[in-house]
Amino acid sequence: MLTVISAGSVYLVDKARQDSKSVVHTMEVENQINALLLEIRRAESSARGFLLTRAENFRIDHENAVAAIIPALDKLTRQSGDNPAQRENVEKLSAAIETRLGQFKQEMDFIRQGQPDQAAALIREVVSTEATAAIAEVANAMIQEEERLFRLRTINSDRSQTLAASMTGVGSGLVVLLALISIWLVRRSALARDEAERRLREGYANLESIIDERTADLREANDEIQRFAYIVSHDLRSPLVNIMGFTSELDELGNDIFRRIGSLAQVPADGPPLAPTGPGEIALEGADKQLSEDFSEALGFIKSSIAKMDRLISAILNLTREGRREFQPVKIDTSELIETIVSTLAHQAAEAQAQIHLEALPNVVSDRLALEQIFSNLIDNAIKYLKRGVPGEIRIRGRTKLGYAIFEISDNGRGIDPKDHQRIFDLFRRAGTQDKPGQGIGLAHVRALVRRLGGTMSVSSELNAGSTFTVTLPIAWNVSNRNADR
Amino acid sequence: MTQPVTIIMIEDDEGHARLIERNIRRSGVYNEIVSFKNGTDAMLHLFGADGSGLVQKGNALLILLDLNLPDMTGIDILRQIKENKYLKASPVVVLTTTDDSQEIKRCYELGCNVYITKPVNYENFANAIRQLGLFFSVIQVPPAAP
Repeated sequence: MLTVISAGSVYLVDKARQDSKSVVHTMEVENQINALLLEIRRAESSARGFLLTRAENFRIDHENAVAAIIPALDKLTRQSGDNPAQRENVEKLSAAIETRLGQFKQEMDFIRQGQPDQAAALIREVVSTEATAAIAEVANAMIQEEERLFRLRTINSDRSQTLAASMTGVGSGLVVLLALISIWLVRRSALARDEAERRLREGYANLESIIDERTADLREANDEIQRFAYIVSHDLRSPLVNIMGFTSELDELGNDIFRRIGSLAQVPADGPPLAPTGPGEIALEGADKQLSEDFSEALGFIKSSIAKMDRLISAILNLTREGRREFQPVKIDTSELIETIVSTLAHQAAEAQAQIHLEALPNVVSDRLALEQIFSNLIDNAIKYLKRGVPGEIRIRGRTKLGYAIFEISDNGRGIDPKDHQRIFDLFRRAGTQDKPGQGIGLAHVRALVRRLGGTMSVSSELNAGSTFTVTLPIAWNVSNRNADR
Repeated sequence: MTQPVTIIMIEDDEGHARLIERNIRRSGVYNEIVSFKNGTDAMLHLFGADGSGLVQKGNALLILLDLNLPDMTGIDILRQIKENKYLKASPVVVLTTTDDSQEIKRCYELGCNVYITKPVNYENFANAIRQLGLFFSVIQVPPAAP
């Protein structure tokens, strides 16, 4: 845009200059014509003066004038070369002038030869001849032509100058307008950017508050679950004490009753009742014995169920208690920690004919008690679930990767069916042959601890092909991490 | 016991109360047992209508306290007993299902004399109460402060 405008104005200015140059040229041509005419007149008048006075200075003047005519004519010819009409005129003029010059020569010759009459006659003749008239006429035509050109070119020049001026004006206006538009655009984009930035900031703050809210909600929900689990398990215990208590009382009572029945059965119907003797002294018989056994069996089931329920409730209580325990991150020599665990499990390992191999382990910053529980559970499981009759090989390996310490506890035990890999981590769920005592709590507990320590755990195993439990823990865990998680 | 000691049992569960009483009796302790099923009644009995504890002045009391009560926590009752000038010398036995170490620590800090967790296993429970009864039969209980 600006380029077009500047190119236009440059072009227009150039044109205006050319126009004014042609105006000047026109004026020069006119001037030259007048100069030429003047020289011719001068030559004429000096010739006459010489004729009248015979004064030498008139002659010199005449000769000078004649000498000047030809260059002036040449110059005029050169100058008017651009205009065909003028060129024609110039040709006519030069023909006339040549004739006139010839006449001058004749006049002068006559005068020099002392024939002034002849010269005067010639002059008279000349005045009436065409040459002079032609000169005057052609010169006049030329002047008129040049004046016409002058007017035309002046108008042209004026127009192109006006055009150039207006073009420049328009250009300046456009520049100002463009500047204004760009200022406006810049301002608008700055405003838009500010607005976007404000929104971004708002969104960010909003997001943070949403995250805080959600975190608070989750924490509350988690706390509530913990409280719920705690209260439920706790309150379930109270009635259980009663059930267990009165079942036992009932058991005692049952013993007493059957003892009495026994003693009554042995006494003759009419005899005095015997004083009750010590327990087990009276053997029951037949139907009575059956009744007593059924009674004991029923109570036995009730008692074992209560005992089981008590163990489950205790497990839940322990889990919730673990969930509420504050962790203390400390620097832990993992190898030493696991060696200690292995030595406490040495007896079980020896019983199961298991060898425990410990490799170099990376140290971590974590909660000592939690780590002890994690590894002792895993190693205990490895010892507990070996294949019958096969010497156990338990291997504990460790490595680090991207800020995490990875521990692997692998065994050559009975293995876990892949379909049970998720199940074994669920509370109260177990897998495989149920030939070992257990509540199905260990792995659930271990996984909960690992998660709270900011880590993950997984298992890879095939039935009868051993298992590998992988625990990934952050090398440098700290409380703030956890608080941020919670 | 030089002076008849009254055993105050604050226990909301009637079954528990009955089992406790029965086992205490089995251990040969025949002192009067006054039982309360909620905290409010127990407080009224211990501190009187004016809440000063003056009503128990000169009485020898042994308090068996459960922590989980329907209307208030046993901890509150324990604190008030131990802050009352007439009652603070009376031994308080906390007998509850809670075995939370924090809770136990808190009770001892507040001045509880014995903390017993009720075992679910009845044999253990009966044993514990009987031993408590034996303990009751040998300990000296001071009368509430004059």
